[in-house]
Amino acid sequence: MNAIEINDLKRVYKTTIGLIRRKIKEVVAVDGISFDVREGELFGLLGPNGAGKTTTVKMLTTLLIPTGGSATIQGLDVVKDADKVRPRIGFIFGGERGLYWRLSGLDNLRYFSTLYYVDPEVSKKRIPELIEMVGLTGREKEKVEGYSRGMRQRLHIARALLHDPQVLFLDEPTIGLDPIGARELRSAVLNLQSAKKTILLTTHYMFEADALCQRIAVINQGKIVALDTPEKLKETVCDLSVVEIEVFGIPPEYIDKIAQLNIVDSVAVENHDQRSVILVHTPNGPEAIPLLIEQLAGLKLGKIVTRQPTLEDAYVRLVGGAE
Amino acid sequence: MTWDHFKKTVNVVTMAFEVEMRQNLTDGFVLFGILLQPLIIAFMALWMLKEKGPDYSIFVVVGSGMTGLWTTLLFQGGNSITGERWNGTLEPLVGSPSSLQVIVFGKVLANISQSLFSMVVCYSIISFVIGYPLVIVDPMLFLISLVFSIFAYVCFGLLIASLFILIRDIGRMINTLEFPVYILCGFLFPITMLPGWTTPFSYLLSPYWAAQALHGAASGSATPAQLLMYWGLLLGFSVIYVVASRWLYRVILYKARVDASLDTEG
Repeated sequence: MNAIEINDLKRVYKTTIGLIRRKIKEVVAVDGISFDVREGELFGLLGPNGAGKTTTVKMLTTLLIPTGGSATIQGLDVVKDADKVRPRIGFIFGGERGLYWRLSGLDNLRYFSTLYYVDPEVSKKRIPELIEMVGLTGREKEKVEGYSRGMRQRLHIARALLHDPQVLFLDEPTIGLDPIGARELRSAVLNLQSAKKTILLTTHYMFEADALCQRIAVINQGKIVALDTPEKLKETVCDLSVVEIEVFGIPPEYIDKIAQLNIVDSVAVENHDQRSVILVHTPNGPEAIPLLIEQLAGLKLGKIVTRQPTLEDAYVRLVGGAE
Repeated sequence: MTWDHFKKTVNVVTMAFEVEMRQNLTDGFVLFGILLQPLIIAFMALWMLKEKGPDYSIFVVVGSGMTGLWTTLLFQGGNSITGERWNGTLEPLVGSPSSLQVIVFGKVLANISQSLFSMVVCYSIISFVIGYPLVIVDPMLFLISLVFSIFAYVCFGLLIASLFILIRDIGRMINTLEFPVYILCGFLFPITMLPGWTTPFSYLLSPYWAAQALHGAASGSATPAQLLMYWGLLLGFSVIYVVASRWLYRVILYKARVDASLDTEG
C-alpha cells in the first residue's frame, strides 16, 4: 500500500461576480490529478504560483473537500475518514501564519501537543527534543512575535512533528527565507526523510526539488504535466542545448520573433536590473547563435553562452514559461 | 465516551482556556470590555436610577456585570474564531484530532471567566469608593445561579462561535446584537418596561433567565421555586445549545471545507 494515493482529484472554486445579477464564476484549481507517494518517499510537487499545489495539499490534509476524485492517506479516505487521517499526518504551510505570536514558541508547542492528544509525559520529553532539532534552544521561551521568519518556519516544523506523524505535508516551507535559513530548513527536511517519514513537499524552487526529492510531479494549471525522478525529467531536455543571450533592454516582439523560429523549442526571459537574459532551448546548440543574433539586430547584446540543460530548463519547457 | 477520551477532552479544554487567557491579557480591547465598559455602564445606570436609592445598587452591579459577560461572549467568543482565521491558526485547529467544539468551549470559558472579573470590579468600586451598601441576600443561591448562568453563557457562546466559522464577515453584523440583548434580557431595566410583543424574544434567550436568577438571588426577590425554575430553564437551554452546536459544528465545518472559508487566503 502506498502512503498517499490520489486518483483523478479535482477541486473547483466558486466565486460570485456582480451585485444585482450575480453570476457564479468557477475556477478549476486542480483538474483531475492522479499520483501515488510510496512509504518513506520524499516526493516533490513542483509548479508555478497558482498551479494548484496548495489546493492539493489542503485536500490531502482534510482542510478542503475535493470537488471530484478521491485521495487516501495510508488507505484512509481524506473525506470519509478525515478524523482517522488527522492523527496520522503533520502539515505546514509556507509563510509566517499559523502560530500564536503573543505566546512563546514553547507554549505554541504545548498547545498543539495537547490538541494532538500527545501523552503529557511523552510531550515533556519530545518538545525539548524538537526544539533542539529545529535549532530554537534558548529562544523557546520568547514570544513568537520576536522570532525571525526562519525561526517561525522551523517552529512550524516542530509543531508538525509533535505527534510523530508518519506522513508529512510541507507546502513551500522555504518561501521567503534567506539562503542560510532555507539551507538549514532543507537540511531538517533531509533528516526527516532519513527518519523514514513519507514527505510530500511542494515548491517552486527547482534546485530544492532536485536536491531533496526522489520523484517530482510537475503541476501546471491544475494538471500533472510530468512525473518522474529528477534525472529522468532532465533527460526530457537532453536533446536540447540552452543558449543564454545577455541583452540590455528587450521589447516583447523580439521574443516572439525568436519563438517562431523552427530551430527554437522554447524561450524564456530572466530580468536582472538593467539587463535581461534570453534562454533559448534549441536542438542546434551553438550553430543556432548566428540566426538568433540576426533576430536581435539593433539591440545591445552582452555575453552569449551555450550550456547543457538543467532541471530548471526541463521545468520551463514543461510549464511553458508560466512564471 | 471512554475515560481516556474524557481525560483528553478535559486537557484540551484546560489548554484552550489557558491559551485564550494568556492572549486576552495582552489585548487592550478585551481589557476595555472587561474593566472599563461595565464600569461606565454601572455609573450611568447608578446616575439614572439614583432616585431608587442605594438599595438598587446591587441590581446595577449584577446587571452591569452581565453586560460585561454578554459583550465578552459576543465579541471575544465569536471573534476568537475570526482571530484564528486571520492568524492562519484555524486550519491547524481544524486539522488536529481535537474537536473544534471542545476547543471553542475552552476559549469561551476563559472569556466568560475573565468577564466575571468585571462584576467584582464594579462591586468593589461601588461598595468601597461610592460607599453604597451592597448586600447579596442569599450568597449560596446567588453562587448556584452564577454557576448555571456561566454554563448557559458558555453554551450560548458555542452557538455564536459556530456562525463565525461559517461566515467570514459576520463580525460586522453581530455588532448590532450587543445592545438589543442588554435590553431584551433585562440586565439593567425590567423587561416590563418594554412593549409586550418583545417578551417572547426575551424568554428565548438564556441570558434573560440568567439575569432573572442572579437578580432574584441577589435581592432576595425570587422564591426558591422560581429560582429552581430559572436554573432548570438555564440547564435546559444549555443542553439544547450543546446538542444544536454539536450538529452545527459538523455541518458548518463540512461547509467551510467545501467553501474554502477556513482561511482568509482560501
